[in-house]
Amino acid sequence: MSLNTSLIVAMQSLLAEQGALDATTNNIANVNTPGYTRELPVLSEAPATQYANYSMGNGVVLEQFQSIRDQILEQRIQQVTQQNAGAQAQTNALQQVETLFTSNGSDIGSEMSALFNSIMQLQTDPANMSLRQGILSAGQNLATAFHTTAAGIAQVQGGMNLQVTQDVGQINQLAQEIAPLNVQLANLKALGQDGGTVEDQLNVLLGKLSGLTNVNVTQTESGVTLTTGNGTALVVGGQSFALQTATGSDGMTHVLDSSGTDITPAIQNGDLGGTLQVRDTTLPGLTNQLNTLASQFASAFNTAHEGGFDLNGQAGVAFFSGPSTGSGSAANFSVAITDPALIAASSDGSAGSNGNITNLIAVQNAKLPAGSSPIDGYANIVFAAGVASANAQAQTSATSMSLQQLNDQRSAISGVSINEESTNLIRYQQAFAAAAKVISTIDQLNADVLNMIS
Amino acid sequence: MRINPNMVPDILAAIQGTQSQETTALEQLSTGKRVNKPSDDPAASAEMVQNQVLSGQVDQYTTDASGVLDMMHTVDSSLSAVVTSVNQAISVGTEGANSTVTTSQRQAMAQQVQGIFASVLNAANLSYNGSYLFGGTASTAAPYAADSNSSTGYKYNGNEDVNTVQIGAGFDLQTNLPGDQLFSNSGSDLLGSLNQLATALQSGTTTDIANATQQVTAGLNYLTQQRVFYGNAMSQINAQETFLSQETVNLKSQANTLIGADATQAATMLSQAQTANSAVLSAAAKIMPETLLDYLPTTLG
Repeated sequence: MSLNTSLIVAMQSLLAEQGALDATTNNIANVNTPGYTRELPVLSEAPATQYANYSMGNGVVLEQFQSIRDQILEQRIQQVTQQNAGAQAQTNALQQVETLFTSNGSDIGSEMSALFNSIMQLQTDPANMSLRQGILSAGQNLATAFHTTAAGIAQVQGGMNLQVTQDVGQINQLAQEIAPLNVQLANLKALGQDGGTVEDQLNVLLGKLSGLTNVNVTQTESGVTLTTGNGTALVVGGQSFALQTATGSDGMTHVLDSSGTDITPAIQNGDLGGTLQVRDTTLPGLTNQLNTLASQFASAFNTAHEGGFDLNGQAGVAFFSGPSTGSGSAANFSVAITDPALIAASSDGSAGSNGNITNLIAVQNAKLPAGSSPIDGYANIVFAAGVASANAQAQTSATSMSLQQLNDQRSAISGVSINEESTNLIRYQQAFAAAAKVISTIDQLNADVLNMIS
Repeated sequence: MRINPNMVPDILAAIQGTQSQETTALEQLSTGKRVNKPSDDPAASAEMVQNQVLSGQVDQYTTDASGVLDMMHTVDSSLSAVVTSVNQAISVGTEGANSTVTTSQRQAMAQQVQGIFASVLNAANLSYNGSYLFGGTASTAAPYAADSNSSTGYKYNGNEDVNTVQIGAGFDLQTNLPGDQLFSNSGSDLLGSLNQLATALQSGTTTDIANATQQVTAGLNYLTQQRVFYGNAMSQINAQETFLSQETVNLKSQANTLIGADATQAATMLSQAQTANSAVLSAAAKIMPETLLDYLPTTLG
């Protein structure tokens, strides 16, 4: 082994340690970068030279930089992100909706109660016009409460259509960004190289995509294949497929795959899935209950009202009007009469009779065809809205907690530790300094040899 | 095992957690309610809908009951005046049946009884807040009118129906007696007998006068019997008012159990959350800036 060989070994050592310092520098630089996985310099011995009786090591080689990541953990994080984003979207929407059912003096429950109280008051003085006018006003207030509630739900649903369009736009954007990275990563892997920065970027984009919709990731030879819904392709190799939106016959924005097939019901999680769940299942459920209550209440009240006589001794007419069944009953619930004299309080046709008021009051506690009294029916809707919102909130906080734990695990594996990097900094600095010392020593030795000649 | 080097997300989550506890406690303390929106407790919110309806009903029952009570007080004092004047008519009749009374004295007596007839007729047309109380349910017009063509001297325009007012769940209280049950019952017609007495005093025999006086007495007795109806109703209302005020208390206490915040608990929660929050903050402030770099010689740093 010559002095020159030693010089080369020392120089390689300088290069290797410098490379290791580069990795440390890069790690420290990216300590706060989202999605960054720390890189380790992979150092190995250079192949030894065989001599007759012995073999001599040839120093160190910096083989590559390896990103430290757990791919299964990354996928688990993506899955929980999908659930969390879905729950969060539901929470946001349902918290807006439940305020419509908060008792504030002008909600349906309060107004219904006020209507019956104004009717009860008429008992004491059945011909009193101002008391009768009070009943008409209370009826109109109840109608307004039905309108406000139905419109409030419809408004949230309308806002969600915009959300669907925005989400789909973002999904398409992300799919476009992922496709080229996918090709790069596949090429790197084919060469046996570490995914490094490309894989970090891909995972960040996948994380964002997971926040929007359910994503199924399949590893193939040519990179990952991403699908959403029930297997609708988003990215296959280097190709991305754009989702589309279209307004359906129900007036709602639907999600279509690239060939135009409606995949709306198949999208489960993520912001888009959560939004669709609330828009297409939870809110229509509440609206249906509200419509049933409005139509059945109006019909029961009208039946009682038509059984009596008004102030002029004429048979009572319908008090409320609106669709007798089905959709739009709450939105179109209204008071049919404007003349307070038409309120049918009398049971015998004389103006001073209040006999029919008992029948009107009885509507409050009588069961509607839906199976409960009007007030219980409303209480059921309040319960349904409250439970839906409470469940979404519980789901959000549960998935947030498990997401936090998973991120902690990820950080434990892939996160940059300043302390660790500082330690490495010292290690590599010392090794670098030692190698430099070796070079100057060998330089000295060479000089000594040259001095021997002269 | 490598531990998570990045504590920032956990610290932020912990700070957020304690802050959200503080907000909840503050909300409970400031509103006095544990349930401020349906999702805070869906079951309690649904029960509160019922509770609010029931308290509204109880308030209305109370208002109606006190209105009916006022009306009945008016009826009762009016009937009491009727009893006094009819008693007067009876003593006049008794005196008039005496054979020693002269014709001209009887004429004066007849006029007095006619005056009493008119005052009872007026009392029978008693109105309260614009509606007539003794016309059955025909309360928009005066039930009695003087009618000189009729043998009884009056005409009843009311009907025989009654009204009820609900002053409790399932408690329908009858609030009126038709005039023909009080003043002009077919068996003991008070108004008719007063008219008869006046006629007898004017032109009848002492026997006629005595008979008519007897009729008036019978009519008065009947009226007095019927008047008990109002007394009973008033005492029922009084009892019901006590019950309703108890019911109000019950409903309020139920509401408080359902959605009310326990002030002590909320205050404790607030102080716990505060302690936890400052603990997290001070721990974070201590830990976060610390790295190995703080301890390495400056040549490195």
